[in-house]
Amino acid sequence: MAAGRIYFDNAATSALDERAMAAMLPYFGTHSGNPSSMHLDGRAAKEAVEKARAQLAEMLDVQASEIVFTSGGTESNNMALNGVAELFRGKDCHFIVGAFEHPCVLEAAERLGAYGVKITRLNCGTDGMVDPEELAKAIRPETRLISIMSANNVTGVVQDIAALAQVAAEHGILFHTDAVQAAGKIPLPFAKGAIDMASFSAHKLHGPKGVGALYVKSGLQLPALLRGGGQERGLRSGTENVPGIVGFGKAAEICKMEMGSNTAKVVNIREHMISWILENVPGAYLIGDRYRRMRGHICLGVDGKEGAAMKLLLELDERGISVSTGSACSSSHSGSSHVLTAMGFDPVKAHGSLRISLSRQNTMEEAELFLDKFSSAVQSL
Amino acid sequence: MSATIELPGLNCGSCGYRTCDEFAKRLSTEPSLIKRCIALSSATAKGAKPAHKKSVAAKTPEPACSCAGCGGDAATGCKPMNPNNVPEDKKWVDSLGREFDFYLEHFPEDPGPRETMKLHNPLLTREMDITVGDTIIGRPLGMSCGCPITHCGVVVAVDMKTCIITWCVTGPLKPRETGFKDVGYYSAESYEGIIRDTRVELKIGMRHYFQPMMCMLQWRHSGLINYINRTKDNAYQVRIEGLWIG
Repeated sequence: MAAGRIYFDNAATSALDERAMAAMLPYFGTHSGNPSSMHLDGRAAKEAVEKARAQLAEMLDVQASEIVFTSGGTESNNMALNGVAELFRGKDCHFIVGAFEHPCVLEAAERLGAYGVKITRLNCGTDGMVDPEELAKAIRPETRLISIMSANNVTGVVQDIAALAQVAAEHGILFHTDAVQAAGKIPLPFAKGAIDMASFSAHKLHGPKGVGALYVKSGLQLPALLRGGGQERGLRSGTENVPGIVGFGKAAEICKMEMGSNTAKVVNIREHMISWILENVPGAYLIGDRYRRMRGHICLGVDGKEGAAMKLLLELDERGISVSTGSACSSSHSGSSHVLTAMGFDPVKAHGSLRISLSRQNTMEEAELFLDKFSSAVQSL
Repeated sequence: MSATIELPGLNCGSCGYRTCDEFAKRLSTEPSLIKRCIALSSATAKGAKPAHKKSVAAKTPEPACSCAGCGGDAATGCKPMNPNNVPEDKKWVDSLGREFDFYLEHFPEDPGPRETMKLHNPLLTREMDITVGDTIIGRPLGMSCGCPITHCGVVVAVDMKTCIITWCVTGPLKPRETGFKDVGYYSAESYEGIIRDTRVELKIGMRHYFQPMMCMLQWRHSGLINYINRTKDNAYQVRIEGLWIG
């Protein structure tokens, strides 16, 4: 990120880890074979892809054969929803998705709605959590898929995915989770066996952009999204993005290796920032459960100043700080934050959230600088 | 009982301690910290409590069922979403439950809704050298269409004699990309746009309640139509003045 600036927008994207970049570089040059080729260069590329698959699988505690590489989280989510719809084509089909999901889940679901798939968008509570009992109530005889994200990209709230997946399993329904924000930062409950599919993106965990993955549980016969060369077990044809996949694998390995120490550090910075803001910024309130949130995720509002969230973002930008906010009036995505609306916020409050997302690369010194500038920026509104 | 048996032993760090053992030692003196363990805390709170009492409006109606998109109820089951994601039985009602007559869309060739406005201090138009193509931000204030949301957009015309500015409200991406001039407060004088969807007959001189399509609060507005023209595709091009929210 730009030198001299404080980058607190890691939920949007995170900087590529230098170790991941170093692992990638040979695959742009000397090792640029096609993994489908039978010669030495091709075999070397294939070996690198399989090594990355194993690294990601180890981080997730799943089998390497259950990992399908894709171009990113959006593709993975579309692949999961479209794949299940295809699987049940010709039958009554009902999907349950979180009303607070990323647009790539909601819009993929809406598209399927036009083809006859019935969609229920499930709200969460004001703390951002989905109640397993409410999920169970929404299930119908023809429900084929439940898709609930592991951690929300706006609020950072972490769902009890094990409990929700268990509800699906008890009803014989496939369960998918968008784990783009969560992967590499919190343990995910794959070992319990109730998750059938999960989506990941490399650039959210200090890997490269343009590469992601879909976990497809062994035994699930998901139809192919892209057809042609038969790559990725026939599920996702197209020549693999070898450097990207290698970088993803290395980034996953680093996350696995350093999760405990990195997360503890980031959580301590986050807690210091939350406590300071709630004590010192008049009207500031935290959105979502205090502790069931991603390690570096702070979602804030300031009472009475929600309408000026965009100005606050721009004020902070001028002060050298990158954070994020919801959409603003008449942006291409009109309407208040669908995430906060799903949590029961009124339209004004649902407009005015500020998202601060830290990563392992941020420091307590940056947090102190931010707090100083944040306070003055709020006062300037 | 050992610490690693009580805690999940994931050593994930989400509690702020590197290992479950370290956390367990801290818990022995401060048991209330257990809520920091995201592996042990569960969704059994049912999501009913606000995260902060100021964070949720008391007037926000509870949805009839847990589905966000249908407007149905749990007893009858949810309806499938319609293409515009507007519940059929709520199509002519704004986000506060108030009825309106039509939707106002912006001209397809414009980057956003076209609005004529006057700065709260009109002299700023000259002092800030507002010119066509400038990106400006400000908040509509007071009698004419007061709104709590900061707007931003691009200037499409300026009359330096009257200090009236015409602009298209575009959203935040433009100022992020190009920089901006902050005009503070302004009064919205008129809207121009297209009506494709109305439930009443439109007449010049009549005051109507309407819903600007791009209003992110989805609050109804009201105003007087003082220009109307039928377009080739059977829509109406209109100018609306005397604007109010609500």
